[in-house]
Amino acid sequence: MVNTYEETEVAVEKKFVKKEHDINADIEWAKINKDILRSLERPRAIFWVIFVASFALFMVGVSCEVYQYQTGLGVANLDNPHVWGLYVATFIWWIGMGHSGTLLSALLHIMHADWRKPIYRYSEAMTTFTLLTAAMFVLVHLGRIWQFYYVVAYPNERWTWPNFQSPLVWDATAIGTYLTSSLIFLYIGMIPDLAICRDNAIGFRKKIYLFLSLGWMGTDRQWANFRVTYLTLACFLMPLAVSVHSIVSTDFAASQQPGYHITSFPPYFVAGAIYSGLAVIITLFIVLRYTFRFEEYMTIPILEKLAKLTFAAAMVWTYLNLIEYASTWYGNDMYAKQALIYRATGNFAPFWWMMNFLGSVLPFALAFKKVRTNIPVMLVLSILLNFGMWLERWMIISPTLAHGIYPWTWDHDQWPSFVQWGIVAGSFGWFNMLFMLYCKIFPSISMYEVKEMLYERRSFKTKKVAEEVSNPELAVEGGLAS
Amino acid sequence: MSITNLLNNWSFYRQKRPFRGQYDLNKQYSEYKWAMALDLDICTGCNACTTACYAENNLPVVGKERYQHGYAMHWIRIERYWDENMGEFPESGTSFLPMMCQQCEEAPCETVCPVGATNHTNDGLNSQNYHRCIGSRYCSVNCPYKVRYFNFWNYPSTAWPSPLQDQLNPDLTVRTKGVMEKCTFCVQRLNEAKSRARTEYRLVKDGEVVPACVQACPTNAITFGNIVDPKSKVAKMWKNQQVDLYKDEQEKDSSMRGYRILEDLRPFPSVMYMERVRDMEA
Amino acid sequence: MSKSHVMALFSDFDQASAAIRDLKSANLEGFKLDDVTLKSPIEHPEIEELLGKRPVYVRIFTFFGALFVPLLGFLFVASSQATFLLQPKGGKAVIPLPPNFVLTYEFFILGGVYMTALGFFICAKLPMKRNKLYNAHVSADQIGILIKAEDAIMPAIKDLFTKHKPLEIMWGEN
Repeated sequence: MVNTYEETEVAVEKKFVKKEHDINADIEWAKINKDILRSLERPRAIFWVIFVASFALFMVGVSCEVYQYQTGLGVANLDNPHVWGLYVATFIWWIGMGHSGTLLSALLHIMHADWRKPIYRYSEAMTTFTLLTAAMFVLVHLGRIWQFYYVVAYPNERWTWPNFQSPLVWDATAIGTYLTSSLIFLYIGMIPDLAICRDNAIGFRKKIYLFLSLGWMGTDRQWANFRVTYLTLACFLMPLAVSVHSIVSTDFAASQQPGYHITSFPPYFVAGAIYSGLAVIITLFIVLRYTFRFEEYMTIPILEKLAKLTFAAAMVWTYLNLIEYASTWYGNDMYAKQALIYRATGNFAPFWWMMNFLGSVLPFALAFKKVRTNIPVMLVLSILLNFGMWLERWMIISPTLAHGIYPWTWDHDQWPSFVQWGIVAGSFGWFNMLFMLYCKIFPSISMYEVKEMLYERRSFKTKKVAEEVSNPELAVEGGLAS
Repeated sequence: MSITNLLNNWSFYRQKRPFRGQYDLNKQYSEYKWAMALDLDICTGCNACTTACYAENNLPVVGKERYQHGYAMHWIRIERYWDENMGEFPESGTSFLPMMCQQCEEAPCETVCPVGATNHTNDGLNSQNYHRCIGSRYCSVNCPYKVRYFNFWNYPSTAWPSPLQDQLNPDLTVRTKGVMEKCTFCVQRLNEAKSRARTEYRLVKDGEVVPACVQACPTNAITFGNIVDPKSKVAKMWKNQQVDLYKDEQEKDSSMRGYRILEDLRPFPSVMYMERVRDMEA
Repeated sequence: MSKSHVMALFSDFDQASAAIRDLKSANLEGFKLDDVTLKSPIEHPEIEELLGKRPVYVRIFTFFGALFVPLLGFLFVASSQATFLLQPKGGKAVIPLPPNFVLTYEFFILGGVYMTALGFFICAKLPMKRNKLYNAHVSADQIGILIKAEDAIMPAIKDLFTKHKPLEIMWGEN
């Protein structure tokens, strides 16, 4: 029996090249450039629909904020002692979402999981914009927003500094570090692609890309530096992402409020962050895939991998969530226990149960391949999961403030006013607007890394086929002996 | 310069508080520590302290609706509780308690303020700097007693219609929207008394200065003074009740009535309450 | 002797590396491997086998950034706490170590990331002016080999390139 080269190739492919299925390795490289640069030119009409709707939503938020600025925080329907509400909850939610962009980009880069390559760029951009949105909530939340700069450590003649003991200052430092670092990470990772844009753009856009690409030519020296830099940055970004949400969780864990004062909060928050971030990456995956016609790059197998990752994160989150309840219950601290009972039975109970259902039970739907590969279902599911995670943040903030240590100050009737809802809605507008603008101006799929991915797969295949052909004995037996 | 400063005073900067000897007449650190003793047996719950506080500290009267909504700015409040075990007439089990900022030595609110607007003063007060406050409200979240009040509305524009603004106390500010405020033990009076005493080369005498609530109390249920001075009334009461400022768990006699609220959270409050004695058989 | 540049474009990496291999074995007089530059749309770490390891100094920047920025950060935080006129807060020490370690950690990341980025721009010589011998196809799917050599051996190099069927050969001032 004679094995032709082609037959061997097919056999090898079946045997080894499982990765082949998530992206077609035979796409012409020039076509990659063309396809992705097209997203900077003319997206589907839905792009403008989303953009205009987002802008309108953002304006709603702006007008609510102007009203609140003029009148005072009373219009948000916060009161003593229920002083925190949706602003803080949504702040944590947004900031948590960003973590998955870093996870996907940095962790999977370190671990050489190359299916990340077509989807990491927009996830990183998502990180940057969610951080901007979260930072906005910090400001909106302040009673005297016009003096927010007091939190910044700047030398002044009065010898006053921010209080470095306060978790809020750690927050400010951590978010500042995270925002600037992830911007640097995003930008440096984008330089080769900006060079591609520069080589293809015309007119005033050429000038912008010319400036941004810093004269990148893809020389081997540049690439060598680039590789080291990118890996080093990824190594810094991973622990940073974990530390940021741990620090955000100390806003609560370091306080005395029952229901906040929980040791397992840092990992719990990080798990929740990654969970909701993966869900939003799926949502954006589906939106971008349709809007910019990225079907060839954002393929169903990649979506499936994302869904599996989401499932894993959901299970970690569920575990830590149950741990929180269990440790509160068995810890037998009177205040914490009654706060927990209040959450499950008080007037926030419907939301609390809904959060547990959406966060822990619903992800089991991801166990089915039919669900994982069905795009409309995944769109709805990812939004629902994220809604569950948003509820989780709200259920941490509000019920415990309504039912704290001191019985005289129990305040069960608090409900956010339209101003709070308006600003929360406005934040969605703000995020979508920025994100959509980004995807229109910059390549939201990394072109050079997709090429790398194809190159590696093709050379892997060639190598295997060569081995196979040079070893006819094994080939005759039908592939390598397993 | 700073590094020299750090190295020279490192042990001072690493010192945790409260430590025994922190407040001392020999002035190692401060010769004043303001404290209070509140006898619930004498208290009638008449709300005179609250009223006096409103007058002294420029507190806005927010109106019925906002009061119900939780916007009341009462720095000292009378809390009422009903004993559910009293069967048909829970009112007969009524107890009440004036609650104000406990001026904790290890105050949970101080550490969390991002801008350092709330600090510990040398005389053991938990100060609140309105000009520095940016309104993050973290202090209120972390206060176990929830005695911090946030200006959710712009009260100066509504609470004192003309000519009511003429009765405002000129010794302290009127707070605008977006800042946190709380009981200060009438720090404006304390500072004035301390300055006066210093010009006369002496310490503030016991009873020379009292906050508005103490002054207004018709039954003398609240005692206020400098606990460092062993001859002051408040120091004697704390000593008699075997309550120690520096301890988080008192080793007192069970017959003693003195206690501090939520001591197990270790805030080391400066206010001692004395339990009400109730004849349950009558 | 004046030097000039030549660049050949190849359609894939294997062709380009074969050309470089030939150049190496041709033993041209005055030809140095350091003068060979590969321009590629993606990273080719394999090229180091042929061209020798190009030194990368980025990590030195990272090291110093990650070492000194946190130290300075800690000193900054501690000394500002020590000079803050309203010092004691919540019974904690004026310079409490756990919060300062949290902040020092953030400074560590900050220093590492910023200095790495700075190191990258310095080591990769960015921003730079693009060479004249640059072709937009390099950013799409072609591989360019740029060689700086003395005029005497230039024809030999061009011949060598031609043997490997390049898509295009460009020469002139860089």
